[in-house]
Amino acid sequence: MAQSNFDRRRINGPEESYQPIFEPDEEVDSRWKPGSPRKGRAARDIRPIFLQAGLINQANGSAYIETEKTKIACAVYGPRQSKTTVYNEKGRLNVEVKFTPFSCTRRRVPIRDAEDRSVAVQIQQALTSAVRLELLPKSTIDIFVTIIENDGIEGCIAAGSVAASVALADAGIEMLGLVASCSTAVVGEEIWMDPTEQEGHIASGSLVYAEQAVKCMEACQECCTDIHAVMAQALLETAQNT
Amino acid sequence: MAAQLVSKSERAYIQASLQATPPLRGDGRGLLDFRTVLLETGVAPLANGSAKLNIGKMPHEGGGGTEVLAATKLEVEDVESGDGVDGGRVVCSVSWCAIRSIQLEPIVQLTKDSSPSAYPHLSSNALDELQYDLTVILQQTIGHPSLHPQNLTIIPRKKSWLLNLDAVILADAGNAVDALFMAARAALWDTKVPRTRAVEYQAPEDSQTTRDSASAMDVDNREAIPTASGFDTREMARTAADFELPDYWDEGEVLHGRERWPVCITLNLLPPSHFLDATPPEEASVPLRMHLMYSFASPSTPKLQSMRLLGPGELNSAQIKSYISEGEKYARELFNALESKLREEDVRRNVKARDRFAQR
Repeated sequence: MAQSNFDRRRINGPEESYQPIFEPDEEVDSRWKPGSPRKGRAARDIRPIFLQAGLINQANGSAYIETEKTKIACAVYGPRQSKTTVYNEKGRLNVEVKFTPFSCTRRRVPIRDAEDRSVAVQIQQALTSAVRLELLPKSTIDIFVTIIENDGIEGCIAAGSVAASVALADAGIEMLGLVASCSTAVVGEEIWMDPTEQEGHIASGSLVYAEQAVKCMEACQECCTDIHAVMAQALLETAQNT
Repeated sequence: MAAQLVSKSERAYIQASLQATPPLRGDGRGLLDFRTVLLETGVAPLANGSAKLNIGKMPHEGGGGTEVLAATKLEVEDVESGDGVDGGRVVCSVSWCAIRSIQLEPIVQLTKDSSPSAYPHLSSNALDELQYDLTVILQQTIGHPSLHPQNLTIIPRKKSWLLNLDAVILADAGNAVDALFMAARAALWDTKVPRTRAVEYQAPEDSQTTRDSASAMDVDNREAIPTASGFDTREMARTAADFELPDYWDEGEVLHGRERWPVCITLNLLPPSHFLDATPPEEASVPLRMHLMYSFASPSTPKLQSMRLLGPGELNSAQIKSYISEGEKYARELFNALESKLREEDVRRNVKARDRFAQR
């Protein structure tokens, strides 16, 4: 029984599709046991960051961030005139996030949904206090974040805010400071920084106590100073090259 | 959540009066006072659990206040071929009812043209976004694996329950998020999961046994085991193909883990002070809001389930720590009040109803 295609603007593939079955390259991961150490890095290590600004020429400012399997591109257009006729004395920050259909394990429909919006709200929350919006009345700054590959939604939000912050700096918009962010997960008894999607699934099983939340925040703060150094370095290199 | 349009002078006026000594609020409350909360459970008879909550209803004018209706509905899902997950899953959604016109058409519709009664000043795009925001807050906290109830499995690895929690905001007069979580907790408390029994179908054998032939044979005379245990070596647990309801009229057993559902407390932060239960102009005048969701499963150790910051303000980590500990105190009071009310509702609906029926 054929269902009607709701998406008429694109060429639709077959209604049902299955992942191809092929020989796994590496060994099948054994189930993580509580108490065993993290695979591949220490508990407090974040994934190595590749960050470069100025890759998209058409935009006022742009940045591309890659941390192992998470790849995010960010473009900033602005400040440009607000389309609304309402006078706003402070500029508006408009963050739009898009997950490409091939970014997650299961294909995402290209239509905007709640997850796009929740990531956008978090990134906007992080950036609003850092940008000097009072210098830009009647203007809007549009930030478009495209998630090319997604390995853990918390990692995406963190990397997305880092990329957006560098892109804003690349666009020459005045800010109070660079926004660095990172995510943590509580796995068993330990705090693991920058969890991947798999680690995020294991971590969801644990409970969060209030003091653990505070410890997580402190661990994040230490990491953020390192990330800040990386961001500043990337911007410096771009400025020196142009 | 939806920022009411408030002018600069109004905002400055509200902020100045909140920071004065003694702090003044528009309706004369103290900074930490809540408005009257009215709660009723069992309002939707077709739902598995429901609750209606109203914060700040004015008795003289007979209306007003933030009103939220929450209801849970259980659906059966197939684990192998459908979206089901072994162990069941919980999905939340928040919406609002739209009323076209009050006098002529009392029919409630949800159309893009009419504006919802709760947010008449918002465009449909802004409404969609507000809906996403509230849904995500509710879903991420309530759908978290640490709160997952155990008895949502029907047949292990084959069929499970999908718990749909739908909340409808009928009116918003400030503090909608607290109201949502309280109503959600009450509806989940009230939810009854129907008891099921696993059933195995066997084709009639050719041999001359006197066993009842044809269709269904009850494999399990007790109720089906709600959770799949790895130590279960009985054959029937694995070959059970379908289930039945042993008693159609039985509402079922309560949802497991109902003492774990969290309550939310919203602290409106206006450094150096903070206040609870804001009205819409107060919400629009405050630069930062913090939502804290606490779960009080065991009275001595509360668990912070989630925390959200909203608004263009900023905080440092020392302030965050102090707000978390203060929020815990307020949340505990809110939780105790809600608990006693829920138990009272339980008594009203079950014990008193039975007594009235016996005396008729």
